[in-house]
Amino acid sequence: MENIKGIVFNIQRYSIDDGPGVRTTVFMKGCPLSCLWCSNPESQCMKPEVTYRYTSCKRCGTCVEVCPEGIITLDDDGVHIDRTKCTLCGECVSNCLPQALQISGKEMTVDEVFKVVKKDADYYEASGGGVTASGGEILVQADFVAELFKRCREAGFHTNADTSGFGDPAALKKILEYADLVFYDLKHLDPAKHMEYTGQTNELILQNLKLVADSGVPMVIRVPLIPGYNNSDENLHALGKTVAEVTKDSVVNILPYHRYGANKYRMIDMTYQLEGVPELTQDELNHAKEIIESYGLKCEISK
Amino acid sequence: MAMKVDPKEIQSVQVLTPRLQKLKAEWEAAEPQVYVDDTLLFTQSWKETEGLPIDIRWAKALEKRLLECPLLIRDDEIIVGSLTKFIRGNGTLCAMKPHEIYEMCQTGRFARKTSDTESTKITPEDLAALKADAEYWMEHMPKVSTVNAALAYDMGEDVFDLLFDRGCVFEGRGVRYKMDRGLFQNYSAYGGGVAQVSAKCIDNGLNHVIELCKKEKERMMAEGDTHSHGSAQFLRKYWLLEACIISCEAFIKFARRHADLAREMAAKETREWRKKELLRIAEACERCPAEPPRDFFEAIQCVRMYHLVCWKESSDRPEVPVGRLDQLLYKYYEADKKAGKITAQDAAELLGALWLKIRECENLVTIPREQRAAPGSLLPNITLCGTDKDGNDLTNELSWLILEAMAQVKLSEPAIYIRYHPNMDPEFVLHALRCNREFGGGNPAFLNDILGTQRYLDRGVPIEDACNWSASGCLGYHLDCMEHLGGGHNINQTKLFELALNDGFDPRTQKQLGPHTGDASKFTSLEQIMEAYYKQLEYFVPVLHRIKVLTLCTEITDGPMSGLRCAMQYEDCIREGLTPKEGGARYPEGRTSWLGSRGLVDIADSLAAIKKLVFDEKKVTMAEMLDALKNNWEGREDLRQMCLNAPKYGNDDDYVDEIYDQLSTKVPEIMQRWIDPITGKKPMLFIGAAAGHIAIGKAVGALPNGRLAGSPVNDAACSVMPGMDVNGPTAAINSATKGPYAKEYVGYAMNMKFSKSVLNTDEKLQKLAWLIKAFMKRGGWHIQFNIHSREELLAAQANPAEHKNLLVRVGGYSAYFIDLPKSLQDEIVNRTMHEMV
Repeated sequence: MENIKGIVFNIQRYSIDDGPGVRTTVFMKGCPLSCLWCSNPESQCMKPEVTYRYTSCKRCGTCVEVCPEGIITLDDDGVHIDRTKCTLCGECVSNCLPQALQISGKEMTVDEVFKVVKKDADYYEASGGGVTASGGEILVQADFVAELFKRCREAGFHTNADTSGFGDPAALKKILEYADLVFYDLKHLDPAKHMEYTGQTNELILQNLKLVADSGVPMVIRVPLIPGYNNSDENLHALGKTVAEVTKDSVVNILPYHRYGANKYRMIDMTYQLEGVPELTQDELNHAKEIIESYGLKCEISK
Repeated sequence: MAMKVDPKEIQSVQVLTPRLQKLKAEWEAAEPQVYVDDTLLFTQSWKETEGLPIDIRWAKALEKRLLECPLLIRDDEIIVGSLTKFIRGNGTLCAMKPHEIYEMCQTGRFARKTSDTESTKITPEDLAALKADAEYWMEHMPKVSTVNAALAYDMGEDVFDLLFDRGCVFEGRGVRYKMDRGLFQNYSAYGGGVAQVSAKCIDNGLNHVIELCKKEKERMMAEGDTHSHGSAQFLRKYWLLEACIISCEAFIKFARRHADLAREMAAKETREWRKKELLRIAEACERCPAEPPRDFFEAIQCVRMYHLVCWKESSDRPEVPVGRLDQLLYKYYEADKKAGKITAQDAAELLGALWLKIRECENLVTIPREQRAAPGSLLPNITLCGTDKDGNDLTNELSWLILEAMAQVKLSEPAIYIRYHPNMDPEFVLHALRCNREFGGGNPAFLNDILGTQRYLDRGVPIEDACNWSASGCLGYHLDCMEHLGGGHNINQTKLFELALNDGFDPRTQKQLGPHTGDASKFTSLEQIMEAYYKQLEYFVPVLHRIKVLTLCTEITDGPMSGLRCAMQYEDCIREGLTPKEGGARYPEGRTSWLGSRGLVDIADSLAAIKKLVFDEKKVTMAEMLDALKNNWEGREDLRQMCLNAPKYGNDDDYVDEIYDQLSTKVPEIMQRWIDPITGKKPMLFIGAAAGHIAIGKAVGALPNGRLAGSPVNDAACSVMPGMDVNGPTAAINSATKGPYAKEYVGYAMNMKFSKSVLNTDEKLQKLAWLIKAFMKRGGWHIQFNIHSREELLAAQANPAEHKNLLVRVGGYSAYFIDLPKSLQDEIVNRTMHEMV
C-alpha cells in the first residue's frame, strides 16, 4: 500500500484558501466532470499532458523542429499541439529554454508526495494546518488519497478532502475514514442542467452528500456561483432546501465566479466556453447568501 | 503590569487630525529648498575657534548652530523643532563634502536622483553663499585623504585596486578612489547607531549629565584620574568632558529658544486655544531636556528635540535611531492615562505629529540616490515590544498606537521593527500585520527577540543589558546607549568567486587581484571550484582586517570626539573619558567594523548550475561555461537560459540548498579565523544590507547563475534571485532556515512579497502571522512583507519571464499573474493602484 501511485498535477505549498491554517494542497489529475467554468482545465484529463504558457513563449520554433511526431505547429497565435497524437516523449519540453512548454501531471508514490508535504510540518504545527487533497476529482484516485491522509494523520497533520462528490460511494468512504474535513461542491440541483453544464447528472452527488453528512466528518458545502448558470433564485432555493435537509451544521461557502482559469484553456489547446460572462456584483452575491441563510444555514462569501 | 489594551479603542483613533492633515499636505506640496544657514554658521564657528582643541571646536560648532540658527514653528504645530527654516529644507555641511557641493553649485542643479528633472530650489543669494562656503573648505580641507595616505603608506598603492571604484573586492565605507569627505573623512558615515536618543538622559534631564561632567572634571583635578592612562589621555578626557558640557548646555538653550519663540507667538495669537497651546509648548521646551518631563506631552516633545539635535550634530549622514519608543514613553503615557489627563486619541495625534517631524528632516543629496547604499533613507528606526530580563512581554498600548500612527500617517520613514517572540498576544501580531497591509511596503519588520538577546548573552553580556537592544542602521541592531555599532566592511563574495573562476585574475580591471588558484577550465569537480574560492577568501580576509584597522583608527585619530554622543552614554563614557566609537561604551566590541559578506546566494546558485550542467548532466564543458561568462553570454543565450533554469536557492530544493549550507558553514569559519585586531576578539559578522548590492554588482561579471555582467547581485542575505522562488513562501523560508545561519550573521533578512489579495481578510492575515511564528521557531532573524506595487505588476506584464512567482488570489483559487488574460491583469493593476499608498 505504501507505494501506491497517483497522478498529481500540482503540489501547492502555503495554500491558504483550502482549509484551516497553513496548508499544502495536493492536486490529483483526472475528473469525470467537465464543468464549463472549470478553472483547472488541465486537471480534467487523467493522463499527463503538455501545457503551453503563451506569455513565456519566444516563438523560436525549436519545439516544432524537435517533435519526433511532427505534431507541433507555430503560427501567429503561438504553438499548437495535436494532442491526440502526442506520445508525451518530452522532447519539446526539455528543449524549451523559456520553459513555456511543460508537462502537467506526474506519476508519484504516496511516499514521494508525503516527502514534499512533510517539509512544511513546522507551519502546520504553528497554524493547526495540514494537507488538502483536491483535483481533478479525488474520488477517482481514492486509494492514493486515503493512504496519503493516513500518513498525514499519523504525523498529526489536519486533512481536508476537496471533492465534487461524483464518484463511487465506496471510494468516498475510504477517504472519509482519514479525513478531518470535507469540502463538498454543489453546482446545480436540477439534474438536466447539471448534465448540461458538467457533463454528468447530480444523483450520485446528492446521494454522496448524505453519506458525508452521516459520517460525522465536518463539511463545508462549496458553491461556485456562475451568473446565468446556477445563480437563479430557483436553484439557490433548491440548494438551500436540500442542504438543510441533509445537514444543518455545515457552512455553505459561495465561491464567486472568476475568470482566473480562462488562459489555462489555451495552454492545452482547449476553448474557454464562458467568454464574456460577467463577474457577480456584491448585491447579487448578498442576495444569494440571503436565500441560503433563509434555510437556517450559515453562509459565507469567499474573498 | 501594563494597562489592558482595548484594540477597538486603538483602531478607532484618528492619527491624522485635520491639523496634521494640513501639516502633512503642506510638507508634501512644498518644494525642497537648499538650506545654507547651518553650514555658514559651522564655518564661521570654525574660523572663530582656530587653535583650540579639535573636540572643543566641534562642540563649539554645534553650539553656534544651536544658538544662532533660524527657528521655525509652523502654524498649528503641536510638536516643534524643525531642521531648517523652510517647510521642506534640505540641510548640508560644506565642511564634510566641499567638492561635491561645489560641483552642484557650478551646475546650479541640486538633483536628488539622476532621473530628476527638477532641481532642489535655492535662492541666488544662498547659492552664492554656499558656493563661497564650499570654496573655503576646498581651500582648507586636507589636500589628501588621510585614510588613503595611511593605506598607501602601509599597504602600497596596489591596495586601491581592491577598493570601491576599482576592483571592488571590498566595498569599503568611504574609501573611495574619488574621495570627498572634507574635514573629517567619514566622521558621521560611521554605520548605524551613531548618535542615539537616550532614554536615560530624557528621564534624568541633561542638567544631571552636566553636573556629572563637572564633578568628574573637579575630581580629576583634585584626586588625579585613575581611569585614563597617560598624560595624552588625561587631556583628551578633560576636553571631552568640556565638550560634553558645551553640547548639553547648547542643547538646553536651543530648546529654550523655542520656548521664547512660542511665547512671542502666543503674545500675538488671537485664537485663545492656540495661545494656550503655544504656552504649553513653551513650558515644555523651557523645562526639557534640562529636567525630566512631567507628562506624556513633555516627553514626546523632548524625544523630538533629542532626535533633531543628534541629527544636526551628525550633519552629513545622520543615521539617528529613535530606539524603543514604546518603552521610553510608556511610563509617561500610563501615568497621564490613569490620571485621566489623556486619551488614546490625544496620544495618537501627538505620535502623528512626532512622525511628521522626524520624516520632514532631509539632507541635501550630493550623491544621486541610485548610487547610494541606502537610497532615500536616513534610518530613524523605531523598535517596539520585546521581552524583559525575566522573559515578560513588553508590548504595551503605545506599541499598538505607534503602529497605528505609522499606518495612518503613511510616510516612508521611520521604519518600525517589532521584537517578536512566541508569547506575544496574537491579537497584537494581527494588528501589526493589518498596519503592514495598510502601509504596503514592508513596515513593520519582525525581528527574532529571543535570538537577538541570545547573541548578546553568547558574547558574555548579562541579561539585564542583553535584553535592551534595538534596530539600527539598515539591517543592524545594538544595545541601547551601551554600544556603538561600527558599521560594516564588506567583502564582495561574488567578486572573489569570479576571481576563483579566473585563477585570481579580474577580467574587468585586467589585473591579477587575487592569488593563483588554478585554471578553472580544467576543474573536474565542484569541490575544486569551492576550494579555489575558499583560497581566495583566505587570502583576502587578513587584507581586509588590515584595511579596516587603518581606516577606522585613522578616522578616529583624525576626527573630533563628540561631546553629545558622550552625553548619550554618560554612565560609561564620562568615567572612561572616551566616546562610544573610541571604545568608551559599556560593550566596546561593537565599535570595530563588522565583517560583511554579500552575494552568497549568487554563489550557491552559480555552483548549482555548474554542478548540474557541467558535472552531472555534462551538457557543457567548464571551458564553454567560462567562455560564455567572459563574453557576458553573447551568442550563448541558450546556455544562459539553461543556467537560469537550474535549481535555485529559495525553493526548498536540497540540490542547491546543500551547497548553500556548505558555503554558510565554511565562509564564517574562514572569516573568523583571524581575530579582530582592534578588540582581540572574534570578529562579528554581518550579511546583506540595504542596496549596496546594486553598486557592487556593477563590478562583477556574468555569473553561472544566469546573471548578466554588471547587474545587481542578490539584495539581502537570504533573499532569492528575483522571480526565482516559485514554490511559495514556506519553501523560501525553509531554504533560509535549513541551518543556524542567523546565529553568527547579523543582518540576515528575509524579504517577502505578497499581493494585497493574500491579505484581504483577517483570516488570511492570521495565516501570515503563523508564517512568522514558524519562521522564528526555525531560527530566522528578520522577516518583512512587501505588498507588490503597481510598477511591479506592470513590469510583470512587460516581462513575464522574470515575474513567474507573482501570485494573485481570489476565492478558493490562486493564479500566477502572468497567466491571466491581459484585461484581467489590467484590472488588477488598476485596482492595486487605488489600494496602494
